[in-house]
Amino acid sequence: MALSLFLQSLVNGLNQGAIYALIALGYTMVYGIIRMINFAHGDFIMVGSYTLFYTVPLMVSAGMPAWMAVFIAIAVCVAVGVIVETVAYKPVRNAGSMSALITALAMSVFLENLAMVLFGASPKSVSAIFTLPTFQFLGATLQIKYLLTLGIGLAMMAGLQLFVRKTRLGKAMRAVPQDKEASVLVGINVNRIITITFAIGSGLAAVAALMYCSTYPRCTMDMGSMMGLKAFIAAVLGGIGIIPGAMLGGLLVGLIEIFVKVYIAPGWYEAITYGILIVVLLVKPAGILGKNVGEKV
Amino acid sequence: MKKKIMSIVLSASMLASLGMSQGVMAEEDDGVIKIGVVAPMTGGLAVLGEGSQHSVDMAVEEINEQGGYQIEILNSGNLADDASDPTQAINAYNSLLAEDPDVIVGTYNSSCSIPMAELAQEGSMVMLSPGSTNVEVTEVGDYIFRTCFIDPYQGEMAAQFAQSEGYTTAAVIYANDDDYSNGLYQAFEEAAADSGIEILYVGECTTKDTDFTAQVSQAVASGAEMLFYPCFLDTVPLLVQQARDAGFTGAIVGGDAWDGCDTAGLETAFENTFYTNHFSYEDTSEAVQNYVTKFTENYGSDTLTACAALYYDSIYMVAAAAEAGGGTDTESIKTGMTNLEFSGVTGSFTLNDTGDPIKPVVVNTLVDGACTWYTTLEPAE
Repeated sequence: MALSLFLQSLVNGLNQGAIYALIALGYTMVYGIIRMINFAHGDFIMVGSYTLFYTVPLMVSAGMPAWMAVFIAIAVCVAVGVIVETVAYKPVRNAGSMSALITALAMSVFLENLAMVLFGASPKSVSAIFTLPTFQFLGATLQIKYLLTLGIGLAMMAGLQLFVRKTRLGKAMRAVPQDKEASVLVGINVNRIITITFAIGSGLAAVAALMYCSTYPRCTMDMGSMMGLKAFIAAVLGGIGIIPGAMLGGLLVGLIEIFVKVYIAPGWYEAITYGILIVVLLVKPAGILGKNVGEKV
Repeated sequence: MKKKIMSIVLSASMLASLGMSQGVMAEEDDGVIKIGVVAPMTGGLAVLGEGSQHSVDMAVEEINEQGGYQIEILNSGNLADDASDPTQAINAYNSLLAEDPDVIVGTYNSSCSIPMAELAQEGSMVMLSPGSTNVEVTEVGDYIFRTCFIDPYQGEMAAQFAQSEGYTTAAVIYANDDDYSNGLYQAFEEAAADSGIEILYVGECTTKDTDFTAQVSQAVASGAEMLFYPCFLDTVPLLVQQARDAGFTGAIVGGDAWDGCDTAGLETAFENTFYTNHFSYEDTSEAVQNYVTKFTENYGSDTLTACAALYYDSIYMVAAAAEAGGGTDTESIKTGMTNLEFSGVTGSFTLNDTGDPIKPVVVNTLVDGACTWYTTLEPAE
């Protein structure tokens, strides 16, 4: 009995962790390239979830599998991400990091209130996205869709890592944070790179929304703020700006949360999770995978 | 100047006439019960208020046709609006008080009823709350009564339901940051001990949680036959889905806060789930069916809610209290209302010493995602 509970908790933790990791990847991408914390990223998940809420029934009635709705969600999120970047972030980019941070916070509040006006304040239930079977393993009932979330998270991380390391565009992305002026000199269109980064980050948010809604089929206008905060913490824990770090941080936060709830004290899970975070950052201020080097100015 | 004198004279004469009419009433009983009714007529719960207005209209018409004491609803027959807001509730109460009511019926939200009850108790005005389930409402004083059961009572009845279904073990997940949830859980725990139901697992969550996988996997591991989840409707679909995902096949039971929860896409997961409520329009008893038929014929079924039924019974309770107390003035109604025995569409019951009814509880189940009457539980002797 104890073993099955452990296994089930492990899978639950990995599932929740993979969702955090998918969101954390978005934070880390943007931070890695333009050194900006996009606090509205959590709200892109909200945008993705509401898109799924409206498009999943359309997909089903068109005779297509429900998860195909994610492509529409990706398109919508990319559009929102690029618009937000062009309209709100680009004009303040040279005004310092504090202006960028405040603009991102304002954008987060703006998106949440816009959603409340457009979709109403009451929660919406997203219809079932995956109808995958469960299986029994050592007495535990395990969900294949939970493992699928983990698989998608790992695949996304690997794909991003390859993209950033091996492609020309990826090389340009790595060049921009090192030296903006020099990047321009060697013929990199910095504005285009930043827009592409935002597009990728927002697209990831749509995938995260899909996996979130398959486990927790409910969207509310403020769902992004708590998820976003936890994912941001996961990104910092793993080492912000480092792609595998986001994955590691996300999985750790998810696993710790679930195991604390099961084995220690359910009422204390957030306190204990973030207590551990503080301890880790005291020991390794740059995050688990972060290198302790001064930031290039 | 002339105008000013004129207005003083006019208002003085108005005051005098007011005083005179009051004087007449105190001397002899006119046989008319003047009721001020408060309900949420606008805002998020407006649908409840609309149905209640229909119910009150129906009850008044029926009672007045029967002869005997007549009923007059103040504010020209309209329910006064509290908009589910405590401040507006007080305003509504005060505006009704200006019309010199014998009794106040209201209101639905406990947060509105509690401040109203304090004013009523201070002013020695009988107040009957149709729908406020918070324990504190009637604890305000001896002038305050209610038609609905109190929150913890549902926890007790959930245990009784579990016993009648033959469950011997239970798991509980409750929101530790919510009074309602705590109240139901504690009452369930006490009643379970008396009914021989063993609670194998108690999990805590908050009203803001969306992830319950840790709690439900422990409920599954405990091997309990039923899961009690006394929380509000917004998280119910999440909990039910995650419990079923974790392999929990037993009954999941909740309270009246489940009413109206969204089951779209989760019809299978919602099989074998139950919740207690005040009233079901599918209840096969004659009183309920007569009421439902008449209501639907006149007003359609859109506004037919448990709240509307409670307002309907409340008007009848006032009439019964006047009958029992032998008069239509406030003090006679208070005497009649104390420990009143009553039978209506929300059940037959007696008010206890705090003014709360000990009454039957309806158990609903969700068949194909739709709320369906399952059984009605009579209170234990």
